[in-house]
Amino acid sequence: MKIWCGKSEMGQGVRTSLPMIVAEEFCCDWRCVQVVQADLDAKYSNQLTGGSLSVRTSYDNLRKAGAAAREMLLSAAAAQWNVSRSECRAENSFIIHAPTQRKLAYEQLLAAASALTPPADPTLKNPSDFTLIGKPTRRTDSFAKVTGAANFGLDTRVPGMLFASVERSPVYGGTPRRFNADEVKSAPHVRAVIEVKSAHLTHQFGETSGPGSRNYSCAGVAVVADSTWAATQARKLLKVEWNEPPSAFESTSSLREKMLRLASEPGTVMRNDGDFEKAHAAAARKIEAVYEVPFLAHATMEPVNCTAHVRGDSCELWAPTQIPGAAADSVASALGIPRERVKVHVTFIGGGFGRRLIQDYAVEAALISRDAGAPVQVVWSREDDIRHDFYRPAACHVLQAGLDAQGQLVSWRHCGSSPSIETFYNGTGISPRAAAQVDSLDFPALFIPNFCLEFSVAESGMPLGYWRSVDASGNQFVLSSFFDEAAHAASRDPLEFLLAAFGPSRKMDLGNQQSLDVGRRRGVIGLAAEKSGWHKPLSAGRGRGIAAAFGWGSYVAQVAEVTCDSKNGTIRVGRVVCAIDCGTAVNPLSVKAQMEGAINFGLAQALKSEITVSGGRVEQSNFNDYEVLRMSDAPPVIEVHIVPSAEPPGGCGEPGVPPAAPALANAIFAVTGKRLRRLPMRAADLRST
Amino acid sequence: MAISFTLNGTAKSVDVSPDMPLLWVLRDTLNMTGTKFGCGMALCGACTVHINGEAARSCITAISSVAGKKVTTIEGLSADGSHPVQQAWMEEDVPQCGYCQSGQIMSAVALLSKKPSPTDTDIDDAMSGNICRCGTYQRIRKAIHRAASMQAVKAKSAAS
Repeated sequence: MKIWCGKSEMGQGVRTSLPMIVAEEFCCDWRCVQVVQADLDAKYSNQLTGGSLSVRTSYDNLRKAGAAAREMLLSAAAAQWNVSRSECRAENSFIIHAPTQRKLAYEQLLAAASALTPPADPTLKNPSDFTLIGKPTRRTDSFAKVTGAANFGLDTRVPGMLFASVERSPVYGGTPRRFNADEVKSAPHVRAVIEVKSAHLTHQFGETSGPGSRNYSCAGVAVVADSTWAATQARKLLKVEWNEPPSAFESTSSLREKMLRLASEPGTVMRNDGDFEKAHAAAARKIEAVYEVPFLAHATMEPVNCTAHVRGDSCELWAPTQIPGAAADSVASALGIPRERVKVHVTFIGGGFGRRLIQDYAVEAALISRDAGAPVQVVWSREDDIRHDFYRPAACHVLQAGLDAQGQLVSWRHCGSSPSIETFYNGTGISPRAAAQVDSLDFPALFIPNFCLEFSVAESGMPLGYWRSVDASGNQFVLSSFFDEAAHAASRDPLEFLLAAFGPSRKMDLGNQQSLDVGRRRGVIGLAAEKSGWHKPLSAGRGRGIAAAFGWGSYVAQVAEVTCDSKNGTIRVGRVVCAIDCGTAVNPLSVKAQMEGAINFGLAQALKSEITVSGGRVEQSNFNDYEVLRMSDAPPVIEVHIVPSAEPPGGCGEPGVPPAAPALANAIFAVTGKRLRRLPMRAADLRST
Repeated sequence: MAISFTLNGTAKSVDVSPDMPLLWVLRDTLNMTGTKFGCGMALCGACTVHINGEAARSCITAISSVAGKKVTTIEGLSADGSHPVQQAWMEEDVPQCGYCQSGQIMSAVALLSKKPSPTDTDIDDAMSGNICRCGTYQRIRKAIHRAASMQAVKAKSAAS
């Protein structure tokens, strides 16, 4: 039994959860299912894998597909037995005629069934009859991944292939002026030294790129050789002089100054409820704070790579890509060949996190293969990967809040500033609201009577991209931390203060067919608090913090427990308790894995990772200076509790990331009384603030 | 000049530059792609193999230093995924993207060969050189404890 998976497997478990949905309705024996990765093909519809969309956007269609196949087998069996179809049922890869107890295996009916027209509107199972959806199910790809057999992009091997290593412009947008091609070409095992031109990249999420869009691959010089090692060794001999763009003067300190200035001035108004100025002037107690988050690289464990083979007006790609369609579009455009002449094989992806939504590496491989006249695998070193990413934007936020005499939040103003991902891709012609990196519906919007949200784009030459949970990754740290500040200013327990702000469970109509379910928000917050033992006292030096995030169709709350030593400056996360309401949890085992992974990913940004820029160049290069979470940093205990629900499935890849940093920051405050407002939070900050 | 070593129990001889790292000999010369490239500087552990039974980062191990030695890679751990550590990994549903797991498993096997019943601290010490960006650390800890008990049961039944 083969089921093709139309989405890319990058760890999130789609090669298990998506076939489960088909197999449920198909009533087949799950143990006999073989999952095959689909290549790029229009018949799989949209193969974009991102935005925590796979399960929630495929659920209905995959159920229908499984049910249609089941009905065709039922019809074929009924015809063969000459009985009414209503007397037959499908079970565990057999069609059974109940009155006579006759059985036919699915494979015996394949020929007859495949001659039938698939029903357009097959009968779906009643969810109460589900035997697979909702059942914790182990991954289908573990065996390949524990035996070394899984083929990632870098494991592609094609007869006659060469390997390339590319020296890219150290400043995004630069071009090579001159380089010593002849000298490098004479190095051992080198086949070619090729200038790689910058190429425009076509759509990421279907948007068009207007004037001012900076969405292109990085120009550079490729060294093509017989092995990865020979290519990287010969690349060390390269001497390239670069034409540098104006952004060669950008630095982290100048950008921080600019963002702070912009966030301190009036910006584009994203939301304005009530009268902030008036209410704030009258507030009994006022607080204000500045928060900052840095640029971040994705640092997927499998470095960026792609294998391409250009032959005449056709191109074959073996790509670890989250959007095979965009890879085909971008490559066709760069090579000037018809899109249908680009064939894309989707490999296992060694970590995506949004990096592989951008097809620069596919374009680069295709251009190099064309010029080298051979299949070429372009291997990015870790240094290339860290220095030439499309980064999560740095940001600065200035916040003010006011409480009345009863300790109720009456005024809230949030002014944010950062480089804009939307401008980067769509150009400078888009509206200031479209360029903003804040969400006018993010809590506490709608729950404070006098609320103002503003945003100003800070121009930057840095290449920008989507990083697991996108804007929420930084914004939720800001919002949930400052809300916690308000709770402490009101001398209230942060959990009680949060629940009081939400008010009673209800559905709020937001217009445009949008609604907000306060009950589901309260539900996850209450569950995380209860399971964490929120009200139980902790020993000295330990503290708890709570934060939540709502989006991607799901609701997540987390309580972090931390041990701090302010004197010596240590932060140790001991336990994170997570509650998620993702509607129907297709594979609860996978939902838990995604929450665990998201928490560790969120803690890496909370405690470790930072990209800084000097002279337009990224200063970090490898895991020594771009640190991520390691085993010794990871909390010994992560507990995940799933709210039972029959609602439609929500996304799970991203919503677990945003609460992790603020839950930890709030816990650090609870134990030390110190508020860390800049990511990453360093233990040394506990001593100095 | 050819360099000879034993790879997963089989004699191998390769004619490559003596400073070529074992990682690239495995991946590009021998097409053994189970061992992964992650950083090239022994910072992430994705390339971990065993050399004479000791965990080593193949990305910084010159092939010349391997001459005459026994190299074991993920492919050599078992022919069918039956090694207790591989079994424990599958039972705990450890892998997500899976890219780092060859290295994680090789480090775990080396740890268990030295410390058959490791504590959490032993695990942190032995495994902190292996990065997992998907964040499977909690499951790796559980899987190592599970593999330790599986191996203990196996040793006990072999002894009786």
